This record gives sequence, C-alpha cells and structure tokens, in this order.
Amino acid sequence: MKILVCIKQVPDMESRFKPDSAGVWYSDTDLAFRMNEYDEYAVEQAVQLKEQLGGEPEVVVLSVGPDRVVEALKKALAMGCDRAVQVQDPAAHLKDPWQIASAIAAYAKGENFNLIFTGLQSQDRGSAQVGVTLAEILGIASVTTIVGFEYADGSVTVRRELEGGLKARVQLKTPALVTCQLGLNVPRYPTLPNIMKAKKKEILTLPVGELLHEEARSVTASFYAPPKKSGGIVLEGDVAVQVDQLLDILRDKTTVLR
Amino acid sequence: MNLELTEEQKLIQETARQFAAERLAPIAARLDLEGDRESFLANLKELACLGFMGLNVSQTYGGSETGSVAFSLAITELARACASTAVTVSVNNMVCELIQSVGSEEQKQRYLPRICSGSYPAASFALTEPGAGSDAAALATRAEPDGAGWRLSGTKVFITSAPYAGVFVVWAVTDPAAAKGGGISCFLVEAGTPGLVVGREELKTGQRASATNEVLLENCRVPAEALLGRLNDGYRIAMSELAGGRIGIGSLALGVGLAAMDFATSYASQRVQFERKLVEFEALQWMIADSYTELEAARLLLMNAAFRKETGKSFAKEASMAKLFASDAANRACYKAVQMLGGYGYTASYPVERFARDARITSIYEGTNEIQRLIIAREVLRSFS
Repeated sequence: MKILVCIKQVPDMESRFKPDSAGVWYSDTDLAFRMNEYDEYAVEQAVQLKEQLGGEPEVVVLSVGPDRVVEALKKALAMGCDRAVQVQDPAAHLKDPWQIASAIAAYAKGENFNLIFTGLQSQDRGSAQVGVTLAEILGIASVTTIVGFEYADGSVTVRRELEGGLKARVQLKTPALVTCQLGLNVPRYPTLPNIMKAKKKEILTLPVGELLHEEARSVTASFYAPPKKSGGIVLEGDVAVQVDQLLDILRDKTTVLR
Repeated sequence: MNLELTEEQKLIQETARQFAAERLAPIAARLDLEGDRESFLANLKELACLGFMGLNVSQTYGGSETGSVAFSLAITELARACASTAVTVSVNNMVCELIQSVGSEEQKQRYLPRICSGSYPAASFALTEPGAGSDAAALATRAEPDGAGWRLSGTKVFITSAPYAGVFVVWAVTDPAAAKGGGISCFLVEAGTPGLVVGREELKTGQRASATNEVLLENCRVPAEALLGRLNDGYRIAMSELAGGRIGIGSLALGVGLAAMDFATSYASQRVQFERKLVEFEALQWMIADSYTELEAARLLLMNAAFRKETGKSFAKEASMAKLFASDAANRACYKAVQMLGGYGYTASYPVERFARDARITSIYEGTNEIQRLIIAREVLRSFS
C-alpha cells in the first residue's frame, strides 16, 4: 500500500498580519510558520494506518512551497512518514487551489497512491478546495470533513461531520482521498530521537515548473484587513424585553438556537 | 556567523513549547500551591517518552543526541510554563551526561536507558552538604573500603528529586589524607539501597512542585562497581559537569523571566488607569525595554555557551557568564513584572508572583552567582598571568 499525505505550512494564526508589498497576500517576514493544524490530523491518521498494518504501507508526505516548508516536512517525517517531497515554489502563495491541486496531481499520477490524506482546509487561505480538486483530477473517490477513519481489506469507512452536529458513515473503495477535520485524532508530539532520525530520511525536491502547466482559474485581487467594527449591540430597557430581543438575535444571526 | 537555529532545533523547541502549553501550564499553579506529585511525575514520564531526559545522550543508551543548543531551547520552553518540571529535567540531563562522560560501559548500559526512558522518574545529584555548599571541596561524607566495596556515611542536603530518584550520584571523601579536593570520589547509589535514607523535604520559596530533600547515608554499603569515574577524581568530575548544568539553569531562568515579562506586558496592554493603557506610560515602557533587552542578551550568552559545548570548545567561563547574567536578568524581570501588575501582581490570582518566587533560586543553585564570578574571574585572569 502507498499513502500520500498533503500538508501545508501556515503562519502561527496568532500573528499580526499585514499585506505584502503587492497587496495580494500577507507579508511573511517576521512570521513564525508551522504545520497547518488540519494537516496534522492527516499525518497522524496516515501514520496510525501504517502502524495498524504492521508498518507495511509507505507513507509519502508532500508540501508545495518555498524552502521553509522543509521544516514542516521534517516534522511529518519525525511523526512517522517515510519520505518527503517538496514541490519547490517560492511563489506558491500566488497560485490558486486549481494550480496547487494540478501540481500535486502531476506528481501523484505516476505514483499510484492507494490512499491520500489531506487537511480539511488550510488555516490561512481556507479554500478547502485542494483535496477534492486533487481527487477529481486523479479520478478517485473522495470524502471531506472526516472525524473517524477505519480501514479493512481495501475498504475505507469514515465518519463525516455534517451541519448542526449530525454525523454520517460513508464507505468507499480505494483508491480514495479523505480530508481531515478536528476531532479525527490527537496528533502525537514528535519524539526528539525521531526528530533527529528524520534527518536521514529522503526529501525529494521537485521544481514546480516541472509539474505545473495550468493557468490560474482565480486570482486574489487584494488582501486587506476589514474596517474596524463599531461597538456591539447594546440592549436596553425592561429585562423581559431584552431577553426577547436577545433570543431573536440568537435565532436569526447564529446557530445557537434552532 | 549564523544565528539561525537548525530545522531540528526549531522542531524540538516547538515540541517543548507545545507540550509546556498543553500539559504543564494548565496545572503549574496548582502544583505550586497544593502539590500533586502524581500529576507532576506523570508529566515527567511523558517528557521522558518524548526524549527530554537525555538530550545529549547517545541513542545507543536511549538518548536523543540533539546537542546542547537544543537542550537549552527545551529547558527554556519548559520553564516558561513550569520551573519545577524544568529543573527536574535539567538535573536528570546533567546526571545522564555525567554517567555518559565518566561511567563504565556497564554503568552506562544499566542507568542511562532507565533515566532516559523514564523507568526511573528522576535521578539525583548529591554533592551539597550542610558544611559544603559553595565550598564543595569541604565535604565530610566518607566512603571507606568495606570488603570488595565501599561503606558511605554522611549527610547531603538540598537534593533535587530525592523522594522519586531511581539513582543518586553521591560524592564522598575516599582519601582524607589528600590535599583538599584531591581525595573525593563519585558513586552511583540506587534508591532502596539499605542505609540510603531520604530525609526531610524542604518547604521552599519557589519551584515547590520539585522535591528538595536531605539525604542521609548511614553505613550505606555499595559494591565496587558503584565507583563512578576514577578514584579520587570526584571533585574534578563535579566541577566539569556543573558547568554543563549551568547552561540548563540559565536557560530555565530565561524561560521564567520571559514568561513573567510576556504576562505583564500583555496585562499592561489592557489595563487602564488615568484613562490610558498602562503601556502608554513611559515608566512601564522602560521596564519592558530593559527587561526584554536583558533577556535577549541572556539568550545570546546561553546560545553561545551551548554552541561552544556542542562543538567541543571550552565553555566553563561562558556557561558561568550565561548562568550569572540570565538568572540576574530573570530576577530583575520578575521584580518588574510584579510591579507592572501592582497589587494584583502580589496575589496568587496571577502567575507573576509564582514566576518571581521560581526565579529567586536561579541565582543561588548550581553555584551561587558569587561563585560564578569567581570562576569567570579565574578564567579571565588566567590569560593575563
């Protein structure tokens, strides 16, 4: 069995973001980067499956981006992936999800992966498109937002999270792709000896130009902070009236009451 | 010249930071106030499983082989959340490095995997005595030949981790006729050895979750194989291993100082008095500027000492400088952090009073800062004589 895990390196989400000089993405100077949280669930699930199958599957971890993404790849290797692929692209932030998925697909086509794990979405762009687009290009089954995963005899059973807290069980045959949601598992801490041993694992570097021949289908025109909101809504008057007003707001504007 | 951490060092720092935030920080205040040894030891066990007890130990013996820079980074991150945990990890690492550097093959195989894996919750460094603190060579514990082995008798004080240590490195006089410091040897004594008695636990100002005890040796018999390193070489061993330990203590102090200043700065960014946020007052801006400048200088001194150690250069002077400066900087930062919170800073509702208490010992243990100055002066003067 061969497994692919697609990961992205994203900034610490508690950072202060400011637009870059072109005004189309955030400036990445002075930002600390780490592995996208949803992708950690993907790596963990792939490694758990490898362990379940007695270590037989080969787990390849891939990331598209500048050279700094090697740190995220090394974390995935330290968590238990076998080898890594960096699709080297200093301008990955200017590519749209179609292009990123196309570049990954160009690599994955020749490798015949049985299973592909991705995060549900990236914490920075949040398009949630790369995983499903990749599956479509490869012509394999896909299921999104998984919070449970089982594998037996070439068949995958997942639990999906639906709106309003509902769940669904979905079965699919490999080859397949799943996108991983919070709650799927608790990603392990990489052990220090494994961090050091990961240095010896293979990291293949492929220039994005060798894989990507697709034009962008969408372009981010500008990147900006929303105007500062004025203060919140202040309810006044009789308490009973205030309660009714509050209930109306919760009903209309939120999913707290149904 | 390259001040950038390697990818491995960054990942180790990230792992330590994440573990500290998720596992240590939520219970640190409770452990300090009430003590909960079970939770404290459970976290140590997990840290051992992740490889934090033998950062500089060969993988052959269950260590992580990460080098001294990563050790410094890890201790700083752990100390940001819980100084008691950080000091235990630092001492365990020091004992491991000592055994690795002077131990026999049998001793390495017997003890290093146990400390590194957490099968021993901790290990102790039993040097200090009531009459031998800064003057470590003045120790009175005796080791007398007893058949094929040795018989130890004496009193040790301020022994970190004693109630749950699996093994103690004990210093004792083997040749009372020798010149001062010349007749001391080092022994490995396992917990449970008859005659090794863990005495009273000190009630301390800070780092209260970590146990500090008296240890009594009452005709404690150990076999000949318990001798660690060469006979009568113990004082030199202690002095050279303490130099590495000082990088750990300086790194710990840095973590506590940063935690205090980060908390106080965040607090002062929100707290309003005289219709202005506290950080808008120049008085507080100067505290912030001074503290972060000193902590950054401490970090660079520590990185320099750790890098010299890792690359096989002499580092005793640099380690003493780093420990001296980092611990004083951390204490000043904690003092200011309490001041920035005002009355709230003096209460247990906020963590800065704990940081201030935790920082206080860092200018005392692993060699007082007065002793650090003696070491630094001696090293400097050597090049002038």
